[in-house]
Amino acid sequence: MKKKSVVVTSVMAAVLFGCSVLAWTKETDAFSDSERRELAKYPKFSVESMMDGSFMEDFESYTLDQFPFRDLFRKLKARIVFDVWGQKDNNDIYIADGYASKMEYPLSKPMLDHAANRFEYLYETYLLDAEDIYFAIVPDKNYFLAEQNGYLSLDYEELISYMNEKTDYMTPIDLTGQLKLEDYYYTDTHWRQENLTDLADYLLEAMGAESAEQEYQKIESEIPFYGVYYGQAALPMEPDTLNYLTNEMLEDCKVFTFETGKPVEIPMYDMEKAKGKDPYEMFLSGTRPILTIENPHVDNGEELIVFRDSFGSSLVPLLAKAYEKITILDIRYVNSSMLGQFVEFGDQDVLFLYSTMLLNSSLALK
Amino acid sequence: MLFSSISFLYYFLPCVLILYLVTPRKLKNFVLLLSSLFFYGWGGVNFLWLMMIMLAAGYIWGLLVGKYREQKIGKWLLGAALGMNVLTLIYFKFADVFPIGISFYTFQIMSYIVDVYRGEVPAQRNPVNFSAYASMFPQLVAGPIVRYADIAKQLESRAHSFDHAALGIRTFVLGLAKKVLIANTLGELCDIFRASNDKAVLFYWLYAAAFTLHIYFDFSGYSDMAVGLGKMFGFDFMDNFNYPYISKSITEFWRRWHISLSSWFRDYVYIPLGGNRVPKGRWFFNIFVVWFLTGFWHGAAWNFIAWGLGFAVILVIEKMWLLRQLEQSKGVAAQILRHVYVMVIVMISFVLFNAADITEAGTYIASMFGLGDLALVSKETVYYMRSYLVIFLAAMIGATPIPKMLVCKMQETKVGKTLLDVAEPIALVILLMVVTAYLVDGSFNPFLYFRF
Repeated sequence: MKKKSVVVTSVMAAVLFGCSVLAWTKETDAFSDSERRELAKYPKFSVESMMDGSFMEDFESYTLDQFPFRDLFRKLKARIVFDVWGQKDNNDIYIADGYASKMEYPLSKPMLDHAANRFEYLYETYLLDAEDIYFAIVPDKNYFLAEQNGYLSLDYEELISYMNEKTDYMTPIDLTGQLKLEDYYYTDTHWRQENLTDLADYLLEAMGAESAEQEYQKIESEIPFYGVYYGQAALPMEPDTLNYLTNEMLEDCKVFTFETGKPVEIPMYDMEKAKGKDPYEMFLSGTRPILTIENPHVDNGEELIVFRDSFGSSLVPLLAKAYEKITILDIRYVNSSMLGQFVEFGDQDVLFLYSTMLLNSSLALK
Repeated sequence: MLFSSISFLYYFLPCVLILYLVTPRKLKNFVLLLSSLFFYGWGGVNFLWLMMIMLAAGYIWGLLVGKYREQKIGKWLLGAALGMNVLTLIYFKFADVFPIGISFYTFQIMSYIVDVYRGEVPAQRNPVNFSAYASMFPQLVAGPIVRYADIAKQLESRAHSFDHAALGIRTFVLGLAKKVLIANTLGELCDIFRASNDKAVLFYWLYAAAFTLHIYFDFSGYSDMAVGLGKMFGFDFMDNFNYPYISKSITEFWRRWHISLSSWFRDYVYIPLGGNRVPKGRWFFNIFVVWFLTGFWHGAAWNFIAWGLGFAVILVIEKMWLLRQLEQSKGVAAQILRHVYVMVIVMISFVLFNAADITEAGTYIASMFGLGDLALVSKETVYYMRSYLVIFLAAMIGATPIPKMLVCKMQETKVGKTLLDVAEPIALVILLMVVTAYLVDGSFNPFLYFRF
């Protein structure tokens, strides 16, 4: 018997049985902060679930989700992918110039068509009397990052021109020249509100909205902001800082949500959400199907309706200075056919504000 | 249950190992049998009954054939036993659902019954021992196809030692790493290619190369894991691969690829048909029968049949003329050319093998040769070539005996040997941890040979 064989067998047995004991005895985690999702729990056993195989399937998910030191293992895997194999992305996530991003590729015409169809439905159902309808496409971070660093990238020019052609009842507003990489978070998909004041003014000007000059105060939240790509990348990254803009006017604005059918006032910036799983949800309280912002400082009778995705949450407050009332609609969370029950459509200005990511993966639009 | 899963590595295997170690010697096969039934049932309870019927039938057929093998009825019993297994296999090859591992365990049962008939082994009287052999979980669902004669003695009595266990652990962990780190990663590239709308001629070749390496690391990785697990439980299974991609002819390739299947067909079909000791026409017929069956064994689809028969044609050409020419060619350029010849045929054959149907195979192969109105290169081709470059290099080197030769070279010196002695347990732990990291993070983990 070789000494080496005893050592190999003993060491490997210790590792295998050690990990096994840890796996069997570890307390169940309910939620993964880094991935922002609920983790699988130990499945309930029944004869039915065993016969149809669902118990085994769920158990496999449980063992993956509840494995001890799971985040550490995910980081190790990311390191191997990038540093040993020299792969350019890990599960489509890449880091370039200090920014983490997810490759958005290829261009999906069926998805663009779906988005265009939903917009056309909204136009024909509610917006025939609208004053003016504008369409601003928000380029995602990859527009400034992917191709320049050798990653697969959407043909943004084609996407924008295709969408504009399909929505010829809207006036396009080109945002590509108004943004740069620094306007986005390092670890998240979204843009930084504190960098959007010029873009907001550009939008208002393009929509012919008049407003008084507003000075904003930048408030720095002390909560470290680990964006959605931080968890997905599973690589060591510094957190972003989460800033927001405010002033007397914004503080006086009233924000209402209509989820219960009746207006309920909510804060413009929800600091409880800032401490939550997705701090970006502090802007207009995150995923809300219908919101209004009423601005007592404006009495020009102007109203704006914004159809938007999550990029709108941080931008729309900066448009408030030009309107008495802004209605903010997210048709990912409310069916388009239901909107007439909650919103009085008339001669308001209308802005469609959607990111390239959402348009290229638009099935969520109802 | 997959070997390359957290549930197998850290839940099933430790429990089985402990149970096996604490069980008295005469009950160890019973523990193996129970573990194997649990392992199989985990993948689908529905077909557990089928396997148990096949095991029971195989056991009874073995006893009957053994008892009457010298009488006329013996031949009929053999025919009935083989017929039952073959018809069951054919039925499920055409059915909508396919019981995992049936191609492997029916072939094991058939080889056992034939060996009993030939008098090469006595019929196994202990149903537990027989069932443990035919359903043993290390090789149950994807081979290698273990002959009863090879492990009959080990079923009765086998030694367990640290040397055997350490060798088993090393083989298992290396197989696991081959599967998870290389095969799965290259498999992802194959999936990316299939989903791509930006295909190009070079992308087709990249896919062909990726799949060729993927299937080798996937299947040989699984076989290594099976062999390694076998050793942990005191068994010696045959090696299923012997560096097939270094072959200099297709004849040589098939001596090195899926050895347990090709030797099964050689011993139980080709030689009984007369092998090559018959007139030339009959010899070629024998070859075509074997390769038709080899294709069909992989699936009742035209691409598998074409794949098998394609190899038959090439093997006949090699036997008639080409092999002589190849062996006579000397010099580095000729050697390289021989290698290129083998690899191009193997790559094309695997494109055919992996196609959804014969039409897709035709499209893919035509596109590889620029007949598909495609650009030579696309944006995606360049990106994925760069992203997978290191893995391709590692896989290409790993598919040759170079790493093994380096280790052997190191072992020749005292310093090298000491270094290896120290490094081996550390390297195995690191590999296991890296594999665990991949399993915890990833979701791409199918085994190709589960579908055969």
